[in-house]
Amino acid sequence: MDRTLTDFIRALRHSDVRVSTSETMDAFRAVRLVGYEEREQLKSALSMTLAKSEEEKARLGDVFDRFFRFDAFSDEPETDDDAAAGDNGEGDGQEFSPEDWDGESTELARMLLENDTEALALTLQEAAQDVNVANINFFIQRGIFTRRIMEQMGLAGLDAEIAGLSGQEGGAAQARMQALTQARERLFEQTRDFVERQIGLYASTTGRRLREDLLRNIKLTNVDLQDFRLMKELVHKMAKRLASLHSRRRKITRRGHLDVRRTLRANMPYDGVLIDPKWKVRRVERPSVYAICDVSGSVASVARFLLMFLYSLQDVLPRVRAFAFSNRLAEMTETLKNMPLEEAINKVLKEQGYGTTDYGQAFVDFKELAMEDIDHRSTVIILGDARSNFLNPRADILKEVYRRAKWVMLLNPEPRSFWDTGDSEMTALRAGCHQAEVCNTMSHLERVIDNILRMAT
Amino acid sequence: MSLIQTDVFSSIERITEEYGQAGYISSRSISMAVYLAHHLQKPILVEGPAGVGKTELAKTTAACLDLPLIRLQCYEGLDETKALYEWKYGKQLLYTQLLRDKLSDVLEGAQGLVASMEKLHSFSDIFFSKEFLEPRPLMQALEQKDGAVLLIDEVDKSDHEFEAFLLEILSDFQISIPEVGTIRADVKPLVFLTSNKAREMSEALMRRCIHLYIPYPDSKLERSILASRVPELSEDLRRQLVSFIQQLRELDLKKVPAVSEAIDWARTLVLLHSKTLSADLVRETLNILLKFQEDIEGVDAQIPGLTQRAMKEA
Repeated sequence: MDRTLTDFIRALRHSDVRVSTSETMDAFRAVRLVGYEEREQLKSALSMTLAKSEEEKARLGDVFDRFFRFDAFSDEPETDDDAAAGDNGEGDGQEFSPEDWDGESTELARMLLENDTEALALTLQEAAQDVNVANINFFIQRGIFTRRIMEQMGLAGLDAEIAGLSGQEGGAAQARMQALTQARERLFEQTRDFVERQIGLYASTTGRRLREDLLRNIKLTNVDLQDFRLMKELVHKMAKRLASLHSRRRKITRRGHLDVRRTLRANMPYDGVLIDPKWKVRRVERPSVYAICDVSGSVASVARFLLMFLYSLQDVLPRVRAFAFSNRLAEMTETLKNMPLEEAINKVLKEQGYGTTDYGQAFVDFKELAMEDIDHRSTVIILGDARSNFLNPRADILKEVYRRAKWVMLLNPEPRSFWDTGDSEMTALRAGCHQAEVCNTMSHLERVIDNILRMAT
Repeated sequence: MSLIQTDVFSSIERITEEYGQAGYISSRSISMAVYLAHHLQKPILVEGPAGVGKTELAKTTAACLDLPLIRLQCYEGLDETKALYEWKYGKQLLYTQLLRDKLSDVLEGAQGLVASMEKLHSFSDIFFSKEFLEPRPLMQALEQKDGAVLLIDEVDKSDHEFEAFLLEILSDFQISIPEVGTIRADVKPLVFLTSNKAREMSEALMRRCIHLYIPYPDSKLERSILASRVPELSEDLRRQLVSFIQQLRELDLKKVPAVSEAIDWARTLVLLHSKTLSADLVRETLNILLKFQEDIEGVDAQIPGLTQRAMKEA
């Protein structure tokens, strides 16, 4: 039974429930306590030890129902009746019943003809385990696994028996052969169904993981619409990882640096005897982030993901102000706060996007809106291709931001070789930045944001 | 380390029964969680909306086992000196002052500074021993002779640092004090952590716990909870009341009434000697169920409809 449970946990991991080894061991101990007899009891024991949130519990329930499905042959009687009716219609007048047969017969043939559904289901499960159906990865492996399971169940013997019968004369042998051929057909269908269900359990996410890896490094401008949902989940996953990485460091005690004033005050009750020393503490400021996004044309899709990323990090980056511009710049912090992210971004893109870009005007607007608030704790991220349609990019304003802010970062989705070609003003703008980077994949974004969080300490 | 000695936890059915007698109507999954927690010796992390009886579960467990309930309320800024232990600085100081006179006796016969220091070293640790340790809730729970029920309430309100430091206690039931050494529990306490999901708990903490989610009860369970908590309430009124509250939970409210509010409301109706639910009665007592003025105003117009449905369903 241990094998069953490890297979179940495997299926669970495939549906994105994180199960660690220690949780697996807990599950084993829990199952040993409650046993496999009662379905609901087993389910709730597993759900308590393995799933650690409401959402995971729902997923576990789903996997549980699909995994512990032993009704593979339950619809057998109906088809059997049809088959029997068909047999009668053949007109050879002889009805077949298994008890009449006294010749040799394989175990599988016996089960099929006697319609021993329980034994069949059990043999199927065992065969499936023997051929390691849990290793199935892709849909195209369906055929080979179906075949292997049937072979494991004794297909060779069954085929031999059918072949032997076809050579024999006599009504009984013919009837038996027909019944067996039909039963074999049904067995094949049911095994295939079973294998397809296993694909649903084990395989769907292997392909998905491949796609996720691919999406991480695909150019954001090339992301297909159909991958958007997956992309969103990916952003959340990456953001969560970053958040847990950076959420701990908020206070750094500098042991060894005595805080004289606080020590004296704290020890006043003890007659001034210094027995409770106080150390200097440096509080780690959470950075306030200003994201200025060019939302014109090709940069828009990158901006979308940058914002998505920043707003998934609310836990560690509570102070994000977002600005969007193409020719004029507007603050969209409120819009993003009050609406679901997806809707808000679409709205901003509709209002602001797709005009002729004018960096100069955008910086003038930004100066008016936010320059006063920028101080030594602020990180400013500018996302854009620096193509200002030959208008003055007003690098002087950016210089001022540079002087005031802790860090100014220019992210350009274009590859480095395109910088400074045509109307690109990279050289002028770079002078007003601490850092200028190419940024057009998910991995780039992750690195950039990781850096921002790291600088906070 | 041994388990808490009790036969309350011999089976899941037994737990449900014992808790029922103590006035806590337990669903099957709750009993299962307690059963597993005891036998696997794991803490339970209880999540769910406010007022569904997360804290009450720990209290009832303590009452059923006849063990002390030690409660640690978490908040932002809680640290180990408030949760675990602290040195009794005052006592240390007082003792040094009192013992100053004895110093000459101790140092008697010592020649020069080096010899005096060596003599002193042999007494060095007396001021950092268990006598000068002020145990806080977590340490108290480990020190109980027959075990205890430890309730770490609203753990989601605490800081990340505190969560990290809980890990040692939750997995090994021990704490390390640099000056004294490691203190282990003789009898492992039964630990409940409650959370309202103000923030996500870390994976490391989740991994060490059994996870129990308590949702709002269905009408059948809620009726039996009310029957147990407010037995004075008539059967008819109870049905109407539960149906009304179940309908309220479907509405889009700022704060949905929980079980504790339902109990309060039932008590109020008993106090008012009400026989049956009516729109006016509901309107007068609605502030017991709903805690926000916007909610009350929003529901006000729907009261007759809701009351009628409740009467029909009951």
